[in-house]
Amino acid sequence: MSTENTTKSYMTPANIITGIILAIGLVITVLRFTKGLAGVTNLDQNNPWGLWIGFDLLCGVALAAGGYTTSSACYIFGLKKYHSAVRPAILTAFLGYALVVFALHYDVGRPYRLVYPIFYQPGTTSLLFEVGLCVFLYVSTLAVEFSPAMFEWLGMTKIRNAITKLTLPLTVFGVVLSTLHQSSLGALYIAVPSKLHPLWYSPYLAVLFFVSSIPAGLSMVIFEGTLAHKPWHHMMDKTHLDEHEGVILGFSRGAAMSLGAYFCVKLVAMAYDNNWSYLATGWGAWWLLEVVGFVLVPCLMYAIGSREKNIPLIKWAAGLTVFGIILNRLNVSLIAFNWQLPSSERYFPSFYEIMFSIFIVTLGVTVYRFIVSRMPIFFEHPDYKDAH
Amino acid sequence: MEYYVYQDFMLHTKNIAYILMGLFVLGFWGFWAFMTSRDEEIHKFPEHDKE
Repeated sequence: MSTENTTKSYMTPANIITGIILAIGLVITVLRFTKGLAGVTNLDQNNPWGLWIGFDLLCGVALAAGGYTTSSACYIFGLKKYHSAVRPAILTAFLGYALVVFALHYDVGRPYRLVYPIFYQPGTTSLLFEVGLCVFLYVSTLAVEFSPAMFEWLGMTKIRNAITKLTLPLTVFGVVLSTLHQSSLGALYIAVPSKLHPLWYSPYLAVLFFVSSIPAGLSMVIFEGTLAHKPWHHMMDKTHLDEHEGVILGFSRGAAMSLGAYFCVKLVAMAYDNNWSYLATGWGAWWLLEVVGFVLVPCLMYAIGSREKNIPLIKWAAGLTVFGIILNRLNVSLIAFNWQLPSSERYFPSFYEIMFSIFIVTLGVTVYRFIVSRMPIFFEHPDYKDAH
Repeated sequence: MEYYVYQDFMLHTKNIAYILMGLFVLGFWGFWAFMTSRDEEIHKFPEHDKE
């Protein structure tokens, strides 16, 4: 375990590809702010929200739910055996939300007015105001929650110790804010019953978005832990490695129960709206693929994996769940949205929109790599062992 | 099924929703029992095990 840089060359294939994507992102940035939204996107009056909202924002927020689920498991429910998973989860959540806010600057028409609802002209009756306020407060909360790792790295003991004392109130605040804005993002689509396909539209969209964020967050912790295990194995201390399997098994049980709950809420929402007849259509097949293939199947995989202590099966279930949540958010925001319009008027993202979303993900991975290679994320800093 | 008034619609959809909810409660009980069936038993009274 070492935080020192080695003399390895930086010209690896992964770094070269990362560099090319980041360069393309810079070009798109210039085009976006010189030519406007019309110059780089396929957005129009029928489709004012595109891939940057559907993927960067809705998926980004849902998959960043690992922060509040992991920290509440550890600090509110007292499950200290998951402590080693908290810092990676908080880092992922912080980067996820920071990139959501970053991407939002490209998507709104006048990004310099993004702070208006908070400081200048709050529209307290608007759901968007509630989402904006929650995301603003939660990004700040996550920054403070993450900061002890940074201060340990910088050797700033006093401020690190002061912030550590705030852990429990920050966790409670984070759970409250997440409950509010995860559901509000779904509630935004309650305003468009005539545009969203009935299989995805429901007065319970807020509940569906919040409930689905729980397995999304838990699965993301397992998924990210799996991806991080190989390249950063040398950075992980004995505690982290010893607890890793317990984290996966424990979280798989939570994910199985929450995915099961999400499946039940989906069916109850459908029963209330009496939409069963749509299941026999093409849209119904697509809905069944999402709900059976990426909700029910991973739910059973988690349950069997947890029962049999089958770690590979659980990791596959985590991958399926992450994909399923992305598919659900894209269905609500793009695919099943404006479903009645002729295909010529349907939205499909432009090359620039797709490349920008890839740029955002790459940027997140790059910053993640920078932080975990230096700061005590996968290991406890020698000066602060057992200090929590 | 035909609905003549809104009351018919509500009665029909709520009936199905409540039946589903009852099934889900039983389902969750079974699901949890399945998932935890191979967990090591927690011995609350170890002195009884010795007998």
